[in-house]
Amino acid sequence: MSLTFLPSYLVRSDALDTLSGKPIGKLRARLTRGENDFPFKVLDTHDEHLRRRGICLVRSGSDLLLWPAAHGPITQYVGKDPVEFVTDLPDGPVRQALGAVPELRSLLPMAQGRMQQVLLALVDTEEKTRARAEFHVLTAQDGSAAIVQPQALRGYDGAYTQLIKALGACGAKTLTEASVIAALNPDHRPYVAKPDLKLGAKTTAYDAATGIIKAYLAVARRNEAGIIADTDIEFLHDYRIALRKIRSVLSLFKDVYKDKQTLALKQQFSDLMALTGRLRDLDVYMQERQFFFDLLPESLHAGLERMFQMFAEERTAQLATLAAHLQSPAYEAEITALINRFDTCHKLRPGPEGDRNAQTYAAKLIWKRYRKICQIAEAIDDQTEDEMVHELRIQCKKLRYLMEFFAPAFPKTAFKSLLKPLKKLQDNLGLFNDYSVQQNSLTAFLDSLGTKDHDRNMQLAQSVGALIAVLHQRQREERLKVVDSFAMFNSKETQQTFRDLFHGGKS
Amino acid sequence: MKIIACYSNKGGVGKTATAVNLAYALAAKGQRTLLCDLDPQGASSFYFRVKPSKKLTETKFFEDVERFTKAIRASDFDGLDILPANMTFRDFDVFLSRMRNSRSRLKKALKAVKGDYDVILLDCPPNISTLSENVFSAADGIIVPVIPTTLSQRTYIQLEQFFQANKLPLKKLHAFFSMTQGVKSLHGQTMEDMRKQHKKRFLKTQIAFTSDIERMGVQRAPVMATAPRSQAAQAYGTLHDELMERL
Ligand SMILES: Nc1ncnc2c1ncn2[C@@H]1O[C@H](COP(=O)(O)OP(=O)(O)OP(=O)(O)O)[C@@H](O)[C@H]1O
Ligand SMILES: [Mg+2]
Repeated sequence: MSLTFLPSYLVRSDALDTLSGKPIGKLRARLTRGENDFPFKVLDTHDEHLRRRGICLVRSGSDLLLWPAAHGPITQYVGKDPVEFVTDLPDGPVRQALGAVPELRSLLPMAQGRMQQVLLALVDTEEKTRARAEFHVLTAQDGSAAIVQPQALRGYDGAYTQLIKALGACGAKTLTEASVIAALNPDHRPYVAKPDLKLGAKTTAYDAATGIIKAYLAVARRNEAGIIADTDIEFLHDYRIALRKIRSVLSLFKDVYKDKQTLALKQQFSDLMALTGRLRDLDVYMQERQFFFDLLPESLHAGLERMFQMFAEERTAQLATLAAHLQSPAYEAEITALINRFDTCHKLRPGPEGDRNAQTYAAKLIWKRYRKICQIAEAIDDQTEDEMVHELRIQCKKLRYLMEFFAPAFPKTAFKSLLKPLKKLQDNLGLFNDYSVQQNSLTAFLDSLGTKDHDRNMQLAQSVGALIAVLHQRQREERLKVVDSFAMFNSKETQQTFRDLFHGGKS
Repeated sequence: MKIIACYSNKGGVGKTATAVNLAYALAAKGQRTLLCDLDPQGASSFYFRVKPSKKLTETKFFEDVERFTKAIRASDFDGLDILPANMTFRDFDVFLSRMRNSRSRLKKALKAVKGDYDVILLDCPPNISTLSENVFSAADGIIVPVIPTTLSQRTYIQLEQFFQANKLPLKKLHAFFSMTQGVKSLHGQTMEDMRKQHKKRFLKTQIAFTSDIERMGVQRAPVMATAPRSQAAQAYGTLHDELMERL
């Protein structure tokens, strides 16, 4: 009987030979090899959400296996169908152990090959088992490794300690420290949506900007295949965020590059993004489907149904266009040229601020932006035009990007204490904006309906009209929170921290 | 949680063989089982290859809880733990009462490590006069192997008398015929008599005398694990089913 939930380990596959070769203390290892091997696929989301949580999920035939677990892996029968989203899994032990996986992320095969089970028992002179470990030896094309689930046996703590020591001597690491995916595929580079950027004390503004843009160009590229394959909607979302961040570096880091070059680059990135906008909107709609249905009484559902059907069709078309674009030689040439340009800094001349120290430059930019936000916010009360609130939202977003770009240059805790309330404020402003955008685009959708099929369009118009009304109401509710949200964000402490970090303590 | 004692006031009747296989069968059916080896010779520990840890008997400075939880050993079979023969009878008394009391620290400590048990099975040594009363009152059921001989018949009657004298419920007694030999017609006659005399006390299942069970001493594992298809293993399986139905 095992004592508690024990960690799983990852170890080189030849560790079994080492362990069974010589005695471990006064104990000997007995191996029982499974008779067959089975196909396996390691499943994870593109951003390796499971691996980062120290979980390894494997599909073998119609079963899912999950580590860590108390005994062998946690298993669940899932049948023949592919498993795409964790939320689609029937309830069961694996589903429960997975807990909250980002709903929008699909599970992808990250490595595959054949798998063999080997049981290791440490036995004493009486041939009594004192500790056990279950190995799953995974062999892929370019690498192999074993997942080890040790099992402590009650009353034999000493043997368990020896087992863990022996595993450690073979280089075993817990699944929180080691990546099964990387072990099976040595060339694998994990996808990171928000790369950790280093900022040295002597880094110039030019180098900082170039570094960020390079990093996000790479992020954008890592998302192309998933968009084309329509794996999940987060690929497009991340792709857009990466491009948007690049564009905001170009516009926020004033005078870091030559004016003309900056303008041309901004245009180029805006154009790249423009091709993705409608598809993203449709993705969001499809995602909000249930939300919309819940907003309206059942009598209006038929109209919504039709709207979503039209959206689905439009989405298919948009996706085909974007996929063709991303696979076109012209796009390949353009993006490669951009990457080369930021890699070599060829035809990327520094502007008047380029040689500035990145840190002082950042402090200046952030302070300026913060001041601007305060100015706008001061003018806002419950009567102010919505335009001003939109402006506040945009400025907050810019501030957030600036702060995230330059985070490595500032003290962590102080920085975090600013970001947290800022995020809250942005949540409020974001909802306000989402409701507003949705009203606008639904109105545009209504306008676009032709005169054909008059009766069904009437029904549709009724539903959409009702939806717009509800969204308007929601927007008003968010609008009423803005003044308070801002006050919460801009507390005395926040003001002081901004002064300290970015303005030498002065106001 | 249930406590089952494997008891007989006569030696060598198959108590340990029964306890070992019953424990195995319980665990195999998913009952978290603790087999307590009360025999100072460590007979059932021997069958599970568990070495008794001698140190623990004397270390009085331990808290009870620690003494008990630390003495328990996992068997090689899932869901089956062994409390090896390293307790004094007095200790064992304490242990039993702690296990009975659901609020005791021992129960809580076991629960905390998911080590609480569904069944505690006691393999009793033949002479436990000092302890027997406590075992009888603590146990939910007492399984009594009886070799169908005239001598055993008398010993069994003594046990029933003891129960009556001490106002213990006879219902707790679940006897069965052990080491029966088909060729000895005397066995058959005795069994018939006893079943009549002690209606309801005897289980239908009997465990025949077989070399498979004798060989357990060499194999050092329950016959149900080493020869699951053997007649002996199947008989122990039925014994388990019948007993559990009764409890
Ligand atoms: N059904 C059986 N067939 C053959 N041999 C048996 C059978 N049951 C028990 N034995 C053997 O008889 C001997 C005594 O059995 P066991 O140790 O189980 O009895 P016990 O009642 O526990 O003895 P003790 O009173 O010494 O504790 C052992 O060698 C055991 O292997
Ligand atoms: Mg015995």
